[in-house]
Amino acid sequence: MSSAGVLEVAEVTRVQLFSEGGDTWLALAPEVTLLSGLVLLFIVPNLGDAKWRIPLTQVRFPVLFGGRRFTATSDPRLPAMLAIATLLLALWQALISQGADAKTWLLTSGSGAEANILLRVDAFSRIFEIMFYAALLLAAVASIDRLPARRAGSDIQQLIDNRRQVDFYLLLLMTAFGMSIVTMSMDLFVLFIGLEIASLSIYVLVAFHKETPEGAEGGVKYFIVGAVSSAVALYGISLLYLWNGNLQLLSNSATGQIGLVERWSEMESLVGLPLIAFCFVLVGFAFKVSAAPFHFAAPDAYSGASSTVAGILATASKAMGFIGLIRILVMLAAPADGSAVWMFGLGVIAVVTMTWGNLAALSSSNPKRMLAYSSIAHAGYMLAALAALGAWAWGGENDVLNSAPTDAGQWILTALIFHLVVLVAFKLGAFLVLALLETEGEVSDTAPLAGLARRDPIVAVSMFIFMLALAGVPPLAGFMSKFLLISGVVKMSAGDAFAAIAAGDGWSLGQMHWTFWLALAVFLNSALSLFYYLRIGVIMFFEVPSEGRRKPLNKAWFLRLSIWACAIGTVIFGVWSDHLINLCHNAALAVL
Amino acid sequence: MITNAKMTMRDREFALIAGLLAISAVLMYVFPSFAVENSAGQIDWVTLPLVAFPIIAGSVLMAFASMQPYRLKERIGQPIKLISLAFGLMMLGISSGLLFGWLESINWDLSQYNRYELEFEYAWMQSIGVSWHVGLDGLSFSMVWLTTVLIPIVMITTWEEKMGWYHHPLILMMGGALIGVFVALDFFMFYVFWELTLVPMFFLILKWGGDDRRYAAQKFFIYTFSGSLVMLLGIITLYFLQPSSQALIDQGVLTGRTFDMTQMAIGAQAAANADIAWLGINMQKALFLTFLLGFLVKLPAVPFHTWLPDAHVQAPTAGSMLLAGVMLKMGGYGLFRVCATLFPEALLEYQWLLLTIGMVSLVYGSFVCLGQTNLKRLVAFSSVSHMGIILLGIATMEPLGFAGAIFMMFAHGIISPLLFAVAGAFKHHYHTLEIGSMRGMAKHSPWLATFMMFGWMASLGLPLLAGFVAEITVLIAFWKAFGWWVILPGITLMVTAAYYIWSMQKTIFEGGDAGEMPESLGGKPAPDISMWEVSGMMLLAMLTVLFGVLPWIFFDMMTGYAFGLFDGILLNVIGGGA
Repeated sequence: MSSAGVLEVAEVTRVQLFSEGGDTWLALAPEVTLLSGLVLLFIVPNLGDAKWRIPLTQVRFPVLFGGRRFTATSDPRLPAMLAIATLLLALWQALISQGADAKTWLLTSGSGAEANILLRVDAFSRIFEIMFYAALLLAAVASIDRLPARRAGSDIQQLIDNRRQVDFYLLLLMTAFGMSIVTMSMDLFVLFIGLEIASLSIYVLVAFHKETPEGAEGGVKYFIVGAVSSAVALYGISLLYLWNGNLQLLSNSATGQIGLVERWSEMESLVGLPLIAFCFVLVGFAFKVSAAPFHFAAPDAYSGASSTVAGILATASKAMGFIGLIRILVMLAAPADGSAVWMFGLGVIAVVTMTWGNLAALSSSNPKRMLAYSSIAHAGYMLAALAALGAWAWGGENDVLNSAPTDAGQWILTALIFHLVVLVAFKLGAFLVLALLETEGEVSDTAPLAGLARRDPIVAVSMFIFMLALAGVPPLAGFMSKFLLISGVVKMSAGDAFAAIAAGDGWSLGQMHWTFWLALAVFLNSALSLFYYLRIGVIMFFEVPSEGRRKPLNKAWFLRLSIWACAIGTVIFGVWSDHLINLCHNAALAVL
Repeated sequence: MITNAKMTMRDREFALIAGLLAISAVLMYVFPSFAVENSAGQIDWVTLPLVAFPIIAGSVLMAFASMQPYRLKERIGQPIKLISLAFGLMMLGISSGLLFGWLESINWDLSQYNRYELEFEYAWMQSIGVSWHVGLDGLSFSMVWLTTVLIPIVMITTWEEKMGWYHHPLILMMGGALIGVFVALDFFMFYVFWELTLVPMFFLILKWGGDDRRYAAQKFFIYTFSGSLVMLLGIITLYFLQPSSQALIDQGVLTGRTFDMTQMAIGAQAAANADIAWLGINMQKALFLTFLLGFLVKLPAVPFHTWLPDAHVQAPTAGSMLLAGVMLKMGGYGLFRVCATLFPEALLEYQWLLLTIGMVSLVYGSFVCLGQTNLKRLVAFSSVSHMGIILLGIATMEPLGFAGAIFMMFAHGIISPLLFAVAGAFKHHYHTLEIGSMRGMAKHSPWLATFMMFGWMASLGLPLLAGFVAEITVLIAFWKAFGWWVILPGITLMVTAAYYIWSMQKTIFEGGDAGEMPESLGGKPAPDISMWEVSGMMLLAMLTVLFGVLPWIFFDMMTGYAFGLFDGILLNVIGGGA
């Protein structure tokens, strides 16, 4: 724990936002790329042979904007290519800045020491940028086949199609931009802005298939519930402003402004105002991660949206919510002085979330709803880990706090980040397989999956890999992440007990912190979840395809490419996750 | 078959196989030159040839088969099966070479606590302290040899199984995963392979099983997976119980701890030498119980055995043979490798528990057998009762009992595949498994009747066959430990004889000259078993005789292992005695 939110200025570079010199552009390189991509997406598909005639003359200047569009710029695949190139470039920029000599930047609103810190670019923000860009890139690649290009019909139909293509990719890039801001923000207001940029884009993406009743229903539901929860969160943030006078997380010694983190840790006992504000903010993020009482819109949204978008909801959007939770729970209400206030409540929410998700998934026959509920269950596992993080100082001084590399808190946070990152591989992958099935019609029950192994063995095997990874079967990525999560919880709940045992003392179950039962809950739920994950496997490998589904699947090559990438990632991060664990560990260190 | 001047399909097949065999021969010849050597100057025969090759080859073969259109699959089926068999024989060659000292001169009989032959360690996931650590001792080597000998035999016996282009590569993968369990000296690796074995078996049951296979496959997977989750909790706890070491932190291990079994064994031995309970007796008991649950589910012992009859009855012949032959042994192996090696105090504390569960399994299994009319259920429950003998052998806390238990695992690993091959052939040719439904098999299926009788006799413990050696050793040790209580298991073994002889009499001999055909045949004449099945069963029968007459080929190394375990740690705990 960096001592109660006071800044160590030694290793970081402070940069005034948009000041002279290239430092801003260097620190925000991926975001700048995204913005440029957005501008290009606005301009390029609209280029045409429009000319402007100087009044009263015959001289016409080509203005290139409007008119009859050029063949190249009217190609329906063009927006996709632009978006993919942008995301690839941004991903590459985020990847190369992730080395051992990675710099930490603080982006401030003004010059000198007095300025407010708005954004921090560090290992934590970088790994999530990588994760967001990877998820959105896979979704963008997969969507090339998903959105029908060159539908037969009039020119105007093609134009509308093209517009929709542009809209889709514009929203994807906008989402990526908003999410990047969320990962970097050091100020709750900036965080809220980023959250809203991403959320509003996602609301539209969910409702993208507004022509179908399910799409419209899911979109409207998701928008209303999301908007209400954002409003609650904003109200909470405004109360925090009332309490502290600013919304920065870190204190600024030069101006004497005290950040929220320091102010919180200075509280002798809990004060009503910040506590209520804190709860309101939590509600906003709990909706984003679809935790138990706020999860009702999620299954409808997932099944109404196209599978690719549902995959984004289950991975990138969820990770955004968890970033918020980490900022609020780990940084702000950090339990450095003892057990945290939120710990018990969060523990209950976690258990309810995972059990509810699994039980609901057991009884749902729509694969998209099943995956939605499974994603709720996964949120429950991660919330359990966060709750166990609350037992921070429980173990006493011997083993937990002093020996830094063995820190259980770091371990849990590493596991959490690792889980969020690898979730992209197997969660999004599973949704992409459904997207592939959607190319030949609605997927609202298990019939399209039946006998998939006979129609397309490779896709079926990929789907089975995703299912096993979601269930946590070794040696897949899902096992690694669940293994790390559970071991972190066990370590945390044991606290000093293990050190005492190693010293030769006795042991009884009563010595364990109650968060130990969270680990058991995760175990039981994993066993429970195996029922419905295996059921998908059995349906694919055992049942016979229905009439009319005997032919091989569509050759949607780009979609398949994304599925293969996900499947390979699921296996690779399971058997060789060394490097990724180290990256996640660095990220965790940057927060704690 | 189209014959013309060009190469026929069969020619191409043979050319392909010959080419592949030649390539693998060359590979095996040059393998020692690029293989890694450890400090003892031994070459790593384990990692690549025994674990990685079968798994990779199996996946590649299946991927290749899945890409062919259906009409070509029949054609490529034969070469794929032959390549799988070639890999199986290669594995058998390597393990036999290690056994007889052709590849490395290893004296397997000299075994010490926590000393391994062919020990290799490679960095795997350094950041959390996971390494690829393999090694063999008398216990694991006998299991590895058993696996390698069963893989080709299973392939031969089930040569004519439908969809052989998926079936045989799956068996090959299964073999690699099983060997991975037996050679792992790192808990993480152990757990990974432990669960990996479920996937090929799940597919074997799901795709080739009986009518109720869907239910059986899911039950098998979920039941055993949940059992091992408890074991995983034990592994995690054991991991964090170790002191964090600065040396490991400097190497990049974030927690400074490892999953290495040998490191833990060193700690356990040091504690035993200093006459203190490693990790404290309470923690040791708790850990012992978590591991025990995982192993008992796999074994299976009585309260946790309910998945086994379903899995066995629905599983195809190959699935049953591997399940009974090797997979059940994972439980017994784990009891030795983890429970006896690391938790000797807890083992002593829970001697009564093992004794009770073993006795109950033995008695319950036998008496359930008496009431069975389904041939496969009968064999499945007889497996449960034989696994009870393993627990009894461990519960004696005698070196002889340990050796007898390990030999029981080995002998049962030879005999029970024979039983299941017979039961599978029965099902295959008579379309029923009801014992009373047909009589006089000796008349119309002499081969099947011969092997059935042989297998049944071997399983009930006829002297000069492998099962007898194991049973008598455990009984002697039991007598040594508990005196006249030996009558209890002795009588139960007689019940075993009763149900075997009763089922044999009903099926093979009764019914006069013509015999009585089951109705499921619909009046058609009963065929005898195929040449492939005869060869597979013949090989198993020969092995049964071989290890009944010359048990010391493996028994010596098991005794060596048991004494090593006793001298290393258990004597300190038991104190004096033995």
